Amino acid sequence: MSEETALMAQGLKKSYGKVRALRGVDLEVQRGEIFGYLGPNGAGKTTTIRCLLDLIRPDGGTVRVLGIDPQADPVAVQAHTGYLPGELHLDPNMTAEGALRYLNALRGNKADWDFVRQLTERLDLPLKPPIKNLSHGNKQKVGVVQALMHRPELLLLDEPTLGLDPLMQREVLALLREAKADGATVFFSSHIMSEVEAVAERVAIIRKGVVVEVAEPATLIKRALRRANVRFKQPVDISPLANVPGVTVLSQDDGTSVLLQVEGEMDDLIKVLAAFPVSDFETERPSLEEIFLAYYEDDQKEE
Amino acid sequence: MMTIFRYTLRRFRGQILGWGIALALLGMLLVSMYDMIAAEQEQFQDLLEIYPPELTAFMGDISTMATPEGWVSLEFFSFMPLILGIFAVLTGSGLLVSDEENGRLDLIMAHPVSRAALFLGRLLAFVAATVAILAICWLGLVVPMNWSSMDIGWGRMWLPLLSLLAELLLFGTMSLLLSMVLPSRRLAATTAGLLLVASFFITGLAKINENLEPVAKLSPLNYHQAQDAFQGLNGAWLAGLLGSAVVFAALAWWRFQRRDIRVGGEGGWRLPSLPFRRRAGAGS
Repeated sequence: MSEETALMAQGLKKSYGKVRALRGVDLEVQRGEIFGYLGPNGAGKTTTIRCLLDLIRPDGGTVRVLGIDPQADPVAVQAHTGYLPGELHLDPNMTAEGALRYLNALRGNKADWDFVRQLTERLDLPLKPPIKNLSHGNKQKVGVVQALMHRPELLLLDEPTLGLDPLMQREVLALLREAKADGATVFFSSHIMSEVEAVAERVAIIRKGVVVEVAEPATLIKRALRRANVRFKQPVDISPLANVPGVTVLSQDDGTSVLLQVEGEMDDLIKVLAAFPVSDFETERPSLEEIFLAYYEDDQKEE
Repeated sequence: MMTIFRYTLRRFRGQILGWGIALALLGMLLVSMYDMIAAEQEQFQDLLEIYPPELTAFMGDISTMATPEGWVSLEFFSFMPLILGIFAVLTGSGLLVSDEENGRLDLIMAHPVSRAALFLGRLLAFVAATVAILAICWLGLVVPMNWSSMDIGWGRMWLPLLSLLAELLLFGTMSLLLSMVLPSRRLAATTAGLLLVASFFITGLAKINENLEPVAKLSPLNYHQAQDAFQGLNGAWLAGLLGSAVVFAALAWWRFQRRDIRVGGEGGWRLPSLPFRRRAGAGS
C-alpha cells in the first residue's frame, strides 16, 4: 500500500449470522479522490463503511484507513475521519447547535466555529430548534455539517444527500468538491446515480457483497449498452442488422423502424446501415443508472 | 471521557431530581411522623404483635420500631433497595444499549473516543447519578431532624445509604452486563428486574423458613444493611457487594470491547426458538 492510498480493503468479509453481507471486498481509494460506492440496499455499502471505522469487526480480510489498521487503533482513524451514517439519529431533545457542540467536544473542540456557521448558512440549517422539531432534511444537514466541520482528511459518507431537496443536494455535492479541493478524500455510498456521476472520479459497484467493477464513470458509460432507434424511408428486411456482432433487435415496426441494443462500439452497425434507406437515426447515451442496473440483470434473471 | 461523563450526567438530570425529590419527601414525612409514633409506641407494639410473621419477616426487627433507627429502617431503608433498584436496573440496562438500539451510538463511536472511555464515562455518570439521588434522600431525612426528636446524627444517616449504594451499584452493573450479552435492552431489564424481586423475596422468606437460608446466601439483598448499618457497616459485606459490582462492570466492559455496534432498528440476535415455535413456523 503506497502513501497515496487513503483507503484499502482486501478480501473484506463480514457475516451477520447466516447472511453474508461482505464476501471479499477489494477496494483501493487514492488520497484526494472522490470515490463513489454504488449498490442497491443490502449490497454491503454500509457494512463496508462501518468496518472501516471499526464500528463492526470484519470476519476476514485486511483494512487500512489512512495507513492505519482500524482494529488496532480506531481512535486514530476516527480522529482524521468525518462520518455520516446512513440513518442519522441524534438526541431529539438537543438543539442542532447543542448536538454540533457536543460532537465537536468529542473531537476536543477541533472545529472552527466560524466555519460551522458558514456551513449551516450555506445549507440553510436552523440551529436553535430542538432536533425533534427538525424535518428529515434538516436533520440530514446536521449530519453533513458534523461530518465536515473539523475539516477531516477523509470523509466517509453513507448516502449524504438522502432526504435533501434538489437544491440542497447540489449544495452538498459542492461541499464535497470543496473538501476535495482542500485535500480531503471523499468516499461516499449512494444509490442515486446522477450524484455519483456528477462528483465521483471513480466508482465501485458492489453486488452481493463483492465489488464487481471499479472504473471512472465515463469509462463505464462508454463500455455500456446503448440503444439505437433507426427509421427507414420504406419497409426493409432488417435481418442483416441482427447479424451485426454486439447488436440485438429489441423491437421492430412493419420494417419501417427498429429499436436496437448495441454493446460496445457503433462502427460495425453504422457500416451495415449505410446500405439501408435510413431516414432517421437516434442513439441514447446510457445513464450510469442503466449501467448499474445491467450489473444486476443477472440477479433479476436468477430470481 | 469527561465529555461523555458530563453529557450523560446531564441526561440523568430529570431522573436524579425525580427520584431524589420523591424519596426525600417520603423521608421528610417519615421523620416528621416519628414523634407521634414514639408517643404511641405501646399501641403500636400491640398492633404489630397481631401481624402475621410472613408480613413482619419483610420488615425486619419490628420490636425496635419506636426507636429512631428502627423507624427509618422499617419504613424507609428496608424496601428502598427494591424501589431504587428499579432505577438501577433501568439505567444500567440502558446505559449503552438504549443509544445503540435507537441508532445514536453509531455516530458517537465514529468520533475519536475509545470504547473504554465511552464505557467508563457512562459508568461514572451512573455512579454519580446514584450518589446524587442518595444525597437528596439523605437531605430529606436529616433536615427534618431539626424539628423532630429523632437524633440519629447527620453522619450516621449515611451508613444505611452506603449499604444501599453498594446494592444499587451491584444491580446497575449486573443489568449493564446483561444488556451486553442479551439481545435487547428490554430483555436485560426484565431479567435483572426479576432477579431483584426474587432476591427481595428470598431474603425476606429466609427469615421465616430456614430451609431457604442457603439460597438466601446467594441473594445480594441478603447483604443489605438497613437498621444494622447504624451499629456499624459490615465491611466484608460491603466489599463483597462492591467487588461483585466491579466484576460485573469488568465483564460488561470486556464484552463491549468486542461486540459489533448495531445500527438503529437493526435488532439484535434472537434467542433460539422453542421447539413448538419452530414447528409452528415450519407449518406456515
